Amino acid sequence: MTPPPPAVSVADMIRPVPTPPDSQANQDILAVMGRPTLPYWLLLGFLVAFVHAAGAVWVYQVYEGLGIAGYSHPIFWGVYIVTFVFWVGIAHAGTLISAILYLFRSKWRNAINRSAEAMTVFAVLTAAQFLGIHVGRIWKSYFILPYPNQRGLWVNFKSPLVWDTFAITTYATISIVFFYVGLLPDLAIARDRSTGWRKLLYTALALGWHGTGRQWKAWNRSVLHLSGLATPLVLSVHSVVSWDFAMSIVPGWHATIFAPYFVAGAIFSGFAMVLTVMIPVRRIFGLEAYITNYHFENMARFILLTSLIVGYSYSIEYFIAWYSGVEPEQTSFWYRAFGPYWISTWIMIICNAVVPQVFWFPKARTHIPTIFVVSTLVNVGMWFERYVIIISGLSREYDPAVWGLYTPHAAELTILAGSFCFFAMFFVAFIKIFPVIAIAEVKELVIHERAHGQGGAH
Amino acid sequence: MSRHAPGPSKLFAVLLFALTCAVVLGLPGARSVSAQQAKSSDAAYEAQRLAADPDAPGPVQPIPFSHALHAGKYQIDCLYCHSGTDRSRMAGVPPVETCMGCHAQFGSDLEGVQKLQEYWKNQQTIDWVRIHRVPDYVKFRHNRHVAAGVACQTCHGPVQDLHKLYLVPDTKWVNGMPADKLKMGWCLSCHWQNKASVDCLTCHY
Amino acid sequence: MPELDRRDFLKLVGAGAGAAAAAGCSERVTKLIPYVIQPETITPGIPVYYASTCRECPAACGVHVKTREGRPIKLEGNPAHPVNKGALCARGQASIGRTYHPDRFAGPLQRGSDGKLSPIAWDQALDVLAGKLRESAAQTWLLGADRGPTGNEVLARFVSAVGLGGRIVYEPFAPESLRAATAAVFGIDTEPLFDLSKADLVISFGGDVLETGSSPTEHARQLAEARDVATKERGGARFVYVGPRLSMTAGNADEWVVAKPGTEGILALALAKAAIAAGAGAEGGHGALASLAGGLDPATAAARTGVDAKTIERLGAALAKAKAPLALPPSTGLTSARGVATAGAVLVLNQVLGAVGNTVQIPAGSGTKTTSYKDLLALVDAMKSGKVSVLLVHDADPLYSMPASSGFAEALAKVPFVVSFASSIDETTNAAHLVLPDSTPLESWGDASPRPGVRSLLQPTLAGLFDVRSIFDVLLDAGRKLGAEVAAKLPSGDFRSILEAAWSDTAWRDALARGGVFAETAPTGAPGLAAGVAKLEVAEPRLDGDGPFTLLAHPSPMLSDGRGANLPWLQELPDPVAKITWQSWAELGQEAADKLGLVTGDVVVVETPTGRAELPAWVRGGLRDDVVAIATGQGHGVGRYASRENDGQPGEVRGVNVLSLLPTLTDEAGGRAWLCTKAKVTPAGRKERIAFSQASDNKRQRELGETVSLAALLGEGGHGEAAEGEGVGEGSAGEHEFIVPYNAVDDAAATALHRWGMSIDLDRCTGCSACVAACYVENNVPVVGEEQVIRGRLQAWLRIERYVTEGELDYRGGRPARSSHESLGNVDVRYSPMLCQQCGSAPCEPVCPVIATYHNPEGLNGMVYNRCIGTRYCANNCPYKVRRFNWYDYNLKNFPEPLPLMLNPDVTVRGQGVMEKCTFCVQRIELARQKAKNERRAIADGEVTTACAQACPTQAIHFGNLKDAASVVAKKSADAKRGYHALQELNTRPAITYLAKVTRGSVEG
Repeated sequence: MTPPPPAVSVADMIRPVPTPPDSQANQDILAVMGRPTLPYWLLLGFLVAFVHAAGAVWVYQVYEGLGIAGYSHPIFWGVYIVTFVFWVGIAHAGTLISAILYLFRSKWRNAINRSAEAMTVFAVLTAAQFLGIHVGRIWKSYFILPYPNQRGLWVNFKSPLVWDTFAITTYATISIVFFYVGLLPDLAIARDRSTGWRKLLYTALALGWHGTGRQWKAWNRSVLHLSGLATPLVLSVHSVVSWDFAMSIVPGWHATIFAPYFVAGAIFSGFAMVLTVMIPVRRIFGLEAYITNYHFENMARFILLTSLIVGYSYSIEYFIAWYSGVEPEQTSFWYRAFGPYWISTWIMIICNAVVPQVFWFPKARTHIPTIFVVSTLVNVGMWFERYVIIISGLSREYDPAVWGLYTPHAAELTILAGSFCFFAMFFVAFIKIFPVIAIAEVKELVIHERAHGQGGAH
Repeated sequence: MSRHAPGPSKLFAVLLFALTCAVVLGLPGARSVSAQQAKSSDAAYEAQRLAADPDAPGPVQPIPFSHALHAGKYQIDCLYCHSGTDRSRMAGVPPVETCMGCHAQFGSDLEGVQKLQEYWKNQQTIDWVRIHRVPDYVKFRHNRHVAAGVACQTCHGPVQDLHKLYLVPDTKWVNGMPADKLKMGWCLSCHWQNKASVDCLTCHY
Repeated sequence: MPELDRRDFLKLVGAGAGAAAAAGCSERVTKLIPYVIQPETITPGIPVYYASTCRECPAACGVHVKTREGRPIKLEGNPAHPVNKGALCARGQASIGRTYHPDRFAGPLQRGSDGKLSPIAWDQALDVLAGKLRESAAQTWLLGADRGPTGNEVLARFVSAVGLGGRIVYEPFAPESLRAATAAVFGIDTEPLFDLSKADLVISFGGDVLETGSSPTEHARQLAEARDVATKERGGARFVYVGPRLSMTAGNADEWVVAKPGTEGILALALAKAAIAAGAGAEGGHGALASLAGGLDPATAAARTGVDAKTIERLGAALAKAKAPLALPPSTGLTSARGVATAGAVLVLNQVLGAVGNTVQIPAGSGTKTTSYKDLLALVDAMKSGKVSVLLVHDADPLYSMPASSGFAEALAKVPFVVSFASSIDETTNAAHLVLPDSTPLESWGDASPRPGVRSLLQPTLAGLFDVRSIFDVLLDAGRKLGAEVAAKLPSGDFRSILEAAWSDTAWRDALARGGVFAETAPTGAPGLAAGVAKLEVAEPRLDGDGPFTLLAHPSPMLSDGRGANLPWLQELPDPVAKITWQSWAELGQEAADKLGLVTGDVVVVETPTGRAELPAWVRGGLRDDVVAIATGQGHGVGRYASRENDGQPGEVRGVNVLSLLPTLTDEAGGRAWLCTKAKVTPAGRKERIAFSQASDNKRQRELGETVSLAALLGEGGHGEAAEGEGVGEGSAGEHEFIVPYNAVDDAAATALHRWGMSIDLDRCTGCSACVAACYVENNVPVVGEEQVIRGRLQAWLRIERYVTEGELDYRGGRPARSSHESLGNVDVRYSPMLCQQCGSAPCEPVCPVIATYHNPEGLNGMVYNRCIGTRYCANNCPYKVRRFNWYDYNLKNFPEPLPLMLNPDVTVRGQGVMEKCTFCVQRIELARQKAKNERRAIADGEVTTACAQACPTQAIHFGNLKDAASVVAKKSADAKRGYHALQELNTRPAITYLAKVTRGSVEG
């Protein structure tokens, strides 16, 4: 799985980093955590408020019933599952950047891995909620956990939904641990430079980190092992999520390509989200020195690659539908492209398969506004991808007598918006509480560059 | 506690009344042979007192009826009052009429029986407080269990020894988890044991 | 027990609470309250059945009222009753709701000075009534429906004793024209009886006998018998339908002759002539015919009827050839100002064909003798001129069911004192001054005699729910208050004793137990033509107004003359043809609509000389382009479900009352004419969402409603879907090399005694929807209301899909606005009941994370409501889409008190957030199992059946144990030539075997 790392960088890695008491990096990066400004408070306040509003809508939904959402008879899954899959997708970039790129020794990751990991954690938390929002009887949803009970009942291990539950919980655990471990050295730095409640908080969280050689050694090893542990998850989690659909017999869902197709899509959207978030962050807090265009360009490359995979999957889906010769399958796909949901379908194709092609041009890859626009469009496109798969698939099934249509209702859209606010809320809070950039690793990078007198690209 | 719970003063009165009666009746030869004037046995008074005891476990019933007295001492068969239990899914709860079948004659001196006769006079229904209950999505069938020879006590406890009825606790262990009485595991353990059906549709539909 | 609410009632029966609470969130019944005196017939938990009679329509089917703890919870057909033989139609099934209707009056009401109805005591009410009678008996009129022999007798005695102005027996759909025609043609004032079971060629001249005829359940059964492919040669009887609209009946025919509306009589005579030309036997009619059908050679007839001459000759020849032909007269919708002549012509045709005395019986005096419509109109005039001071209305809603143009409303307003005996609110009662609620059929004594030899009894099955009294006892008591001499003229005793006396010639208790006395009379001979024939003037009817369209006001199969409109089940049951619920719609022919630039859902304005209405259009191919068809029954302004009250708009009218468009015309004999006006149709320029229950009638050649040609069935090759020898499955839906043949029996545990299975014969299914209604009542299926249906949230566990032709792989119209694949003259309509297939390898089972749905040892696809957490994956994965989800707490929302009293205590009421579906009425299986287990044996064939199978008039559905090779269902399922499984290529191994509909092709000359 992991290629033999070049000896030189291994040496770099395990060498304890002699850090000057207040190096430039420390100051710059910790400056981000400085006293929040009024706009910051306003933003945070708005987010918190909206999250509560969405929460209220959800409570009302639990009380009234799912009827307040737009569900109709043939379409039993809607925006909630769409959004669930979307956020699970977002959650992929973090692990990919932190774990896989780590194993591949792509040093440039160091500048973005922290925020990516944070996003992973927040995205998983957001996604997990939608499982609860979606079910009809949240108050009984604990049935889905395989716990010993006096009823002598067990869960159905054949059901993809059970696999899903496991996948999500595992992924959440690992990514939180990963995030936390990576945070340790920086927490120590923060601890040494803060006072008051922050001091207490960091002291507690830093677990007595003093940056001794032994600690660094242990730390590096654990990060390495965690990466090894997390890497298969990147592939497994979204494969499992894709099987929620692929395991069914719904035309348009029942396809073997789904696992790779979803994983690629997840990474695609994940990177897009990192860009969408980091570009403004870098701008606002002036972190240009640490998150360079070079990083963005690399990510743009990734987006281009995954976009090609996703585009390929789209075409293959249609090819198989035609090639299978199964009429319901063909009908379903015809309606997908030209039926009532054609708009969603074309948004999806254009945003995901067409727009990212601009990254063939180095100019576009390095032009920040372009990157920002493209990444945002990709996020939109990826949400619609799930919408198209789920809704248009269900709306045209085997029995034409019960074909139907679905339009999201206010409740669903509010909760959808609420999920974005929920995610943003955490991230905004995170910015002020933890270092957005892995200080230690960035320094490592700096030293590494000194040693080689060149960019970190290998 | 149910709204039928009598106040302490009332209870004290009952107690006194019961005791004096007990003393009076204690005198040899004081009993008359005529059914109408028949004084009830001490046991009856004792049973009534215990059945009305608010401190005993279980809800206070509108009438201090003692199963121990009827099913225990007098050995009245369960199905005599709870008729239909062997034929129907539901257990027959005796109508006031059934009680009056005997109590038109006997026990008129007992306060409980007087209450009963009061109900009968006004043709009023007795609101017994329900003790044994399974949720409505559980279709329990008394008749099948009676037919299978399951003793009433298996689920209802040793009613013949209880003056005041309550849900006699019982716990069976399923997968190392405690299953309290009338909980699903509790039913299942018995069904497993006796190779009775454990198909979900047997009880849930 | 004065005003007792549901919970109290349940307390009375303790554990009866089964139905009171929902799965999951179980509201507790903490009290256990036994009877004071327990009736010896009642053991809590054990159902008791009482034989009675359905009074929803004059057909008077026998019913078994299933009661639990003294409350009726379901109506089932009485197998011993000759009319329905154990079946019961949708309206009969739903009628139980009348007794528990939230609109029911708790007691008598009087309209106060404030104009509001307020409760009064019965004694008071009786005094008021008696007072009015004393004042002006002679100016008092009694208006209402037939109440059976004894009831009518009592009412007649009352009228004469008190000296009332008179009694009008009013039945909006009464076949008056037919009666008059019979009198004219045969000289006997009676209602002919048609026996389809004996016929080998049935031709219906617009007679919708299968849905709204004189006895739908019976005629459906007879037709199915006559066309039973298993027992009858070469597919049995052929069925030809003549009429402008592809009605449900037409959809069951072999040939549809699209004649101009109103010309049925002309066609009938032309056919008679053609038949004679082809050598039809019976001399009887020839003479008469000569005078009637003088000039009606095929060519002229063709010109006048719009049917081409060749068809006329062909059909004539076929009729001549047929051994037992039968011609059916038009039913209500097509009864015109020439109604008598038209019906007469059809009777003459029967005479010519020698059907009279064979397939047509002319018994002496049968059917419900109603007063002539013209007498009613006379009464209306009298009311207008203030000659009526008291009007007693019972069992009828004339204010609704009389054409607005008759001026009944103004007339009624002129009557100083109107008394209504309705048990719940309706238009007339809304205008009444005194309401004396009558008991519902389930609460009353009574009898009925639908035809000679059949005497049917009604007996009360519950009491005390409301403070109501039988109309008879009320009138008798009021009469007795008028003094001794009146009392002397009245029958003594209460109605029950009077009834028993009237039945004294029978063994009363046996009759009660059996539901009546059924001695079918021997066939009457052929009476021979009377002189009256010559007077028939068969010609095109008079139509008021002008305009390109003829307005066809056809009776609604569910709502009938509007009496069903306040029953939520009948509102929500989709119209068998349009598949529309809760609404009114105007049917327009495809070409006509194209000309007007209309599509389905566009609102149109329908204008006649007497009225104007706006309603959405349903554009279909199955309607003549010069006709606009609107069903009766909607357009009520009062009633929780009849009006829009339940949608939160009290007083708002639901739909359109087509009667507001009709002029007041009568036929030659003064009977009521329905086909009597032309209409203009113009677009209103707006759209309305139609509450369709079905998205499309295009089955896209998928294996859903399959057919097999008779030729293929007889192994004669031919061009049927199924080629020689092979079953429909393989034949119809392309190559199926990937289909795995299977035996449903293998899907039950080897040790299990049963594998429950079902067979559905599409050749017998008429689409009448009795099964759907039965399922609703049996399984506590909630009614969700118009808005939810529009949002596609119908909760029906069993639906009847209506597909037209094999369908095509068209992609027209992205949105599934119900595209109509009908075309004029095409009868390829497939009615296919769709319910849970209890698959052997069910797609829903593996995906449920909590095993709330699973496969049980007896092959049932179990659904455990209290385990369900509502992920809804099962429903996504069900290719048949038969799983329904409780988006809201429908059962709490949509069962207002006291409706919950009719919930079946043996079926859990599903709560919010759980999935629900059909489980082959598992509660019935379990009930049968108890008995069988006690006797240590398997459940015998026929010992248990599902509600749908039980209700089916044609026995299209059979349920039973597939493991028992001798069982009916096992035999039916083994049918290699017609048997197929829905969406076979998915290999879901369904337990339901469909038997393909047989296409017999048009009739050969």
